[in-house]
Amino acid sequence: MDFKDYYATLGVKEDASPDEIKKAYRKLARKYHPDVSKEEGSEDKFKDVGEAYEALKDPEKRAEYDELRKYGANQKGNFQPPPGWQGGASFGGGGYTEADSAQFSEFFESIFGGRKGGAGGFGGFRQRAHMRGEDVHARVALFLEEAYNGCEKQMQFEVTEVGADGRPFRRTKTLKVKIPAGMKQGQHIRLRGQGSPGIGGSESGDLFVEVDLAPHPIFTVEGRDLIMTLPVTPWEAALGASVTVPTLGSKLKLKVPKGATGGQKLRLKGKGLPGKQPGDQIVILQIALPKTHSEASEALYQKLAEAEADFNPRAHLEPEGA
Amino acid sequence: MKIETVYQVEVLDHGTQFTLREICERSDVHAEFVVKLVSYGVIAPVEEGAPRDWYFDAIALSRLRKAQRLQRDLKLNLPGLAMSLELLDDVDELRREVARLNQQVRQLRGE
Repeated sequence: MDFKDYYATLGVKEDASPDEIKKAYRKLARKYHPDVSKEEGSEDKFKDVGEAYEALKDPEKRAEYDELRKYGANQKGNFQPPPGWQGGASFGGGGYTEADSAQFSEFFESIFGGRKGGAGGFGGFRQRAHMRGEDVHARVALFLEEAYNGCEKQMQFEVTEVGADGRPFRRTKTLKVKIPAGMKQGQHIRLRGQGSPGIGGSESGDLFVEVDLAPHPIFTVEGRDLIMTLPVTPWEAALGASVTVPTLGSKLKLKVPKGATGGQKLRLKGKGLPGKQPGDQIVILQIALPKTHSEASEALYQKLAEAEADFNPRAHLEPEGA
Repeated sequence: MKIETVYQVEVLDHGTQFTLREICERSDVHAEFVVKLVSYGVIAPVEEGAPRDWYFDAIALSRLRKAQRLQRDLKLNLPGLAMSLELLDDVDELRREVARLNQQVRQLRGE
């Protein structure tokens, strides 16, 4: 078990006043709150910050921790409290920890005991003789191909159970979940009875899973529509052409109409994400030019310049009446 | 350890709804709290009406959980909660929009 430097976690000095500690905690709690931050590992940081504050906000606990810190600072890596150590400050009560005390580290428990007072459980756990199990809300990230085809995903989440001693504890549960085809960004699925178990023979909670779609190199997603940019040559646009476009299903031939322009949108009906009302694939044309031109092409461009002498793509940029 | 595979899943759309009583039980909150969240526009029932006729969808349910967590962890009051959730929604939407536009720009540049 590693020694945890709670002062460093909160970014305060050892002699910080209770006010400074509170201020630092509040700021970091906002920054790392899992519902606010998109930063990798923010949830763990949020827990660390909460644990550090729990240890330092109470003068009694802080004094105990300071004692241990003097002792722990001399140990490298593998921290053990001194033999016979017993935390005097009682644990429990107050803000954050009332909800999440079951998630504190082994280190915290080795100092302060922890898990006293029946607190614990995400969402405020109150014990009754009969109680429906807690619902669990989780998220799953899907590649677009997985959302399109449906897939099986392994998920890990925490449920609250009640131990033989009557105290709640958190358990990590792993499930494989069959995700049906055609899930949209932010859509939910429910797995009945896969949340926390009920107490006293009551019903288990449900697992709710919210879908997050990962970015795709070709397609962007709006609802069930898939949008992509398709490069075409000037002559394909001018003359019309049949070109191959990727879809999430199989490749398709798309007819580029004669006289097409850059930025024009073509719609492949029903080729978006499947569903009761399947989405479309929207193809935005982009005129692409070769990087270099041969002499022969230059001569052809010269002819084109003469034939299209009247076309001025900058007409709208010129001052009126000029 | 053998991992259980769950095949029976339910896709939640507008057809799946929860009564005020259900949403309270599932989230372990009092109805008064939900009524307040509705009056501040934090969550909305599928149709307006008297609270006993309210129904909520899954999105409202997960939003209520989010509101609970933010209130508990950051000690927000209701107006602060309402504003934070709205801003978080906007930030989410903008993040996605920026990602989408960046990708289109990359494609237009032929990268």
